[in-house]
Order: sequence, then structure tokens, then C-alpha cells
Amino acid sequence: MTGMNKSALLKGLMTASALALMTSLAYGDDAAKQFRTDFLDGKASWDDVKARAAEEGKINFYYWGGSDTINVWVDSVVTPALAAEDVTLNPVRITGTKDAVDLVLAEKNAGKGVGEGSVDAIWLNGENFYTMSQQDALFGSFAQKVPNSSNFDWNEDDPRSLLNLRDFGVVTNSQEIPWSGQQYVCAVNRQYVDAANTPSTFEDMKKYLEANPGKFTYVKPPHYVGNTFVQSVMYAFNPDGNGAIPFQQSIGDLGAEELARLIKPGMEYLRAIEPMLLGADGGKARYPEDIAALDGLFLNGEVHFDCKFGLYAVHTGLQTGTFPEQAEAFIFPKGLMIANKNYLAIPANSPNPASALVFANYMASVESQASKLEKAGMPVGIDIWKLAADQAAMVEKAAPKHYGVTQEELDANVAPDTNASLVDVIEATWLEYIERGSSASIEEIVAKSAKEIAQ
Amino acid sequence: MAGRKVTNTFNRLSPFQRFYLIAVAALIVGPFAPLIIQSLAFRWAWPNLLPSVWWLEQREKSPIPLAWDYVLSPYSRIYEATINTMAIGLAVTVICLAICLPAARVLARERFRGKNSFEFFLSLPLIVPEAAIGIALLMIFINLGLAGSYVGIIIAHLIPTIPYMVRMLTAVYQGLGREFEEQAMILGANRWQILRMVTLPMLMPGVVAGALFTFLVSSNIFLLTFFLGQGKIITLPTLLFSKISGGTLDASAAGITLIVSLPGIILLVISERFIKEEAFGKGFGN
Repeated sequence: MTGMNKSALLKGLMTASALALMTSLAYGDDAAKQFRTDFLDGKASWDDVKARAAEEGKINFYYWGGSDTINVWVDSVVTPALAAEDVTLNPVRITGTKDAVDLVLAEKNAGKGVGEGSVDAIWLNGENFYTMSQQDALFGSFAQKVPNSSNFDWNEDDPRSLLNLRDFGVVTNSQEIPWSGQQYVCAVNRQYVDAANTPSTFEDMKKYLEANPGKFTYVKPPHYVGNTFVQSVMYAFNPDGNGAIPFQQSIGDLGAEELARLIKPGMEYLRAIEPMLLGADGGKARYPEDIAALDGLFLNGEVHFDCKFGLYAVHTGLQTGTFPEQAEAFIFPKGLMIANKNYLAIPANSPNPASALVFANYMASVESQASKLEKAGMPVGIDIWKLAADQAAMVEKAAPKHYGVTQEELDANVAPDTNASLVDVIEATWLEYIERGSSASIEEIVAKSAKEIAQ
Repeated sequence: MAGRKVTNTFNRLSPFQRFYLIAVAALIVGPFAPLIIQSLAFRWAWPNLLPSVWWLEQREKSPIPLAWDYVLSPYSRIYEATINTMAIGLAVTVICLAICLPAARVLARERFRGKNSFEFFLSLPLIVPEAAIGIALLMIFINLGLAGSYVGIIIAHLIPTIPYMVRMLTAVYQGLGREFEEQAMILGANRWQILRMVTLPMLMPGVVAGALFTFLVSSNIFLLTFFLGQGKIITLPTLLFSKISGGTLDASAAGITLIVSLPGIILLVISERFIKEEAFGKGFGN
């Protein structure tokens, strides 16, 4: 069942059951409400928070559980660290972040108010955060109020603070705290591709595919990894030549017509390479559903490249045997390697809000960030320039090795991600124009999608 | 003895029959072979027939537990999932029996208006798609505070198991005439003695078969558990789903798959032996 169907079904059933059951709207737990107001107004000291957290004694953390290395890190490092604060961590591994968001919204719509839900913290970003903030399902602006917020740059005048203040272009209002900073990095299998043949632009990739048909594919949108690939193509073929810049505006500011003009060449490129993608020979191009499937294709040599969010993906892949022995990262597409952060958010109806705050604060600490970097290969989400020299050295020491690229090269090719309101429209356009092979023009499709999404 | 009997029979088969027998066996056992190899592999890529690097070679070098080390570590949650699956299965079986025994007795022995439509009604839960039941129940259970609780999952598991159990027990009751119980009554037994010493022993094969089947069904329910457990309560099927939903089977996923198939195999072996040799072998009243 796809996420979209499920949420549509949920929505319908929610309305129906709300009527049928004559749900009396709950007003929420008064003590939890009071705590929320006190904390957000700055009336509760951090000691008060810790005392309440020890009383609550528990936190339900919902996160994508598809990576053994992350699972091991959470169980072996985070659990004991929180136990020291008298908080028992209950890590709930989910297959998709959307499941946790759906659960929070379903509970909210069933009348579970402040303090009465079942989710305390979610690892998320982009669309999922956007959905929760749109539905007013977040605890509030907490990120700058926890002690370890000093590890982040919140100064709006410094462009480096952008990823702390905006998540896919959506203002975070400190309703989520950065956890990890990722970059879209492609890996190449050196067994098949030597340095001279390695593409660095989308045009190069097209030439490579002409010579080696079927040896590339990308994760299928609406998966965020697929969406990100599509976005970088849109940047590269932006007819104005200014890359990511116009894609920072919301659909309301940009307008559907302008968006259609900007993405038309990119969409045409994607349609042009489709007959040369994996499996296109035998009929329809094959787009893997998620990164595990793409990794499998890469390991088996069915594709020569593997593009996903993963600054240390090669390191982790070699460590777990999921990448081929000769895998290496490479700079692609030049200057357009999308970087973003992912975050921890606290839902409005969190049953243990104080524990969730203690948890978020711990996750933002230098120690936990360095150990996550070292043991789970997850890049840090804190800002190195805000740290003391010894702390920065600790993080540097913990960083796994890069294969085939240097940190300087990666940093030099960073591009911002796309505004969340545009992501939906671009995704819908991809589905219509590429997947369904619609004969309608890009302008028509974009106008239609923008209208449907706005509703 | 049983072994020799099988060999003798096998030799008596015609070549065609032997071929089909082996083909069927290969189809059943075959999928397990790559699974076992994968569970022991570190890196197994096309076109290698066997893994290029085995888990044991990499074991000392790796900073994280690999393959079986991961599966058998607390990180994999396999113990928690096994205990949950067993406990839920057991509770569902007991409650299901408690509901279905009296119901089957009435259905087998009594006549009442609307009995036929009632029997049809009983199988309705098997016709309605699980997803529809699951989402509707989730909404109700969230209101009742049962979502994400064992009680909620057990109630949900009763829905697809009761129809099977009722049918099975009704059939057994129908095969069991009233005369045995009447006989005991004439000989002066009271109701409790009749139930304990006559009815239950004679019902035993049906009860055991029904219980094993219920347990097996309950321990394999994915969708209802997934919806109502909300990820908080993990069972073997939900654990397996979260491991393999990517469509790729790595070593730890292969190990978990093997473990998940164990309860089913053990139960099948038990039921084969018990039902054939003990219960049906002795037959009713012989």
C-alpha cells in the first residue's frame, strides 16, 4: 500500500469515525499543558525540566529503523546515556517516517490533546516537518531553549545558519532541532568505471548511458532520495542558469507558470534519459523504491552508480558488505550536490514532553554527535564553528574516512535543497510526465498539480 | 521404522512419480538454501555463486555486529519479537477456545431460527479485507486507548481466528454424538464429570488442531498487528517486514527470516505427530 493511499484512507476514515463515534473532543492533560506553556514562555528552568523528565521516566522515540548501524548506536549509546538522566528510552523503529507523522495526526484528530498522544520525538525533515507544522501538531519553539542549542548557529545574518532556520525552505521556528547534516553524494563502482569515464555533469551522465545503456537509475519519487535527484536535475537545467536560487521560493511566491518554465528543460532531460536507464531495454525503465533496493542493484553491478544522501555511505557500505569492494564517492553533479539537515521534532501531544526535551538536548551534545559520527557514520548536525577548539578536534577525530573525494571538494559543491511547497509540485509533475508518460505539456501538468496541492 | 517405510515406498514409485516428488520437495526446501547462505555472507554479489566474503572472515574486523551476531544480539529485537508473538498467540488461542467451544456446541447440536444465516455471518470477517478492518479498528482503539496495547492486538487477532476455530469445533461436535454423554449421565456422572471425563477427551483432537491452527494464524498476522501495534509492539512478522521491506535481503535480514519461519515449522511438526499418531490414530471411542 502506498503512503498516499494510506493517508487518504486514514483521512476519510478519520472523519467518518469521528462522526460515527460522536467523539467528545478531549481537552488534554492540564499538567502537560501547563508545562508546555511554562517552558515555551521561558518560565521553567532547565532543572525543572530535568526533574519533570525523571518523573515521566520514559520517552518514545520514533525513527527510521532500516539501518543496523544506527540501530546499534541508538541501543548501545543513547539508551544508557538517557538512563543516567533517569529516562528510559523506548526506541520505536519504523519503516517510514510518514508512519509516525500519520500516527500523531490520527491521534490528534481522534481528540488526543497535549500530553495524551503516544509519540515523544520523531526523526524527520522536509515534507514530514511541513505536514506537521501545517497541521499545528508540533510542541513549539524549543530548539533554542535547550542548553546545547549553543552548538548551533542561530544568527540569521550569517548565511551558514540557513539549515538551522529553514528545513527545505520552510521556516522551522525552532520547532525541530538539527540532528544530522547530510549531502547528496553519488558512489561509483571502480570495477566498471575508471576516472576518465566518470561523469561530473548530467550531460556527461547522458553520454555515459549512451555508451553503457541501463547502467544507471535513481530512486523513484515520491521517495525523498528520488525527489532530491530530480531537484538537482531541475537546478542543472534551470534556463536562467542560476541553479537553485529561484527554487528557494514557495509556490505561492513563484507561481505555477514560472515554475513550469524553470523545470521544463530538466523534465525533458529526465524523459530523454529514461530509455537508457536500468531495464529500459526490456520495456519500462526500472526505478528502485528505496535506497536498500538501489544499494542491492549497485552491489550486484546492475548499475554503476548509487546516488543517495550519504556523506559516509561508502564507508558504511564497505563496513557492512552492502557496497562493492571498489566503491568510491565522486563529485556529481558538479556544484549541485544538495545538502540539508535532518531534525528531531517533538509532537504537540507528546506524553512525556520533558523527557523529550532532555533527549533532544542530549542528541545535540558534542559527545553524542561525535559518537554518532564515529559509530553510525552519520554526519554531525551541530555547527563546528560554534564549538570550542577541543570539541571541534573531537568531532574531527571521530569522522570516518572519505573514499575518492575530500571534505573540501564536497563542501565546494554544495547546493541548497528545494522549498518544500515546490517539492510536492515537482514530485507530482515527475509522476505525471515521467512515470505515467502523460502527453500533456509541462505547463498544463504543473498548473494542475499546483492547484490540486493547494487545495 | 517410519524411515524404512518411506524408503520402501519411494523405491516402489515409478520414475515419474519420483521425479515429481523430488521436484515438490525441492520447491519447498529450495528457497531455504540461498537464505541460509545469505545469512552467513558478508558480501554476496552477482555473478558469484557463493559469497565472495563470508561473515566469519569479517567478524573480527567489523566494529558492529554482523549477520548472526546482529540477529542474536538484543539490537535485532528478535527475542522481544519472539516472546511477544508467543504470548499474543497463546492468549488469542485460549480466548478463542473459550469463545468457540460453547458456540460450537450450540451450533452443532441446537436448532434455532436464523442458524444458517448466522453461520454465514460468522465467516464474514474472512471476506472483509484486513486493511479495512485494521484502519477502522485503529480509529476506534485510539479513542478507547487500546491502540498500541497487547489487549488491542489480541482483540484484533480474534477477528480472523474465531471463524476458523468455530468451524473446526462445530465439525468435531457434530461427529461426537450425544449418546456418549447420555450414557455417562445414565451411569450417574454429574455435569462436571461428563465434561471432564467424556466430552473433553473426545473433543481433544479437534481442540488441539484448532488451537494449533489458531496459534499459527495469529503468529502470522502482519497487517492488523502493524496497524494496531503502532510500531510499539513488535512481533516476528512486523520485525521481518521492517527488515525486508526494502526488497533487499542482507545477512541479518536473512537470519531473521530463518528465525521467523521456525515457530511455524515446529508447530507443523508437533501437529503432524500429535494429530496423526495420537489423536486420529486412536480415533473416536475405539
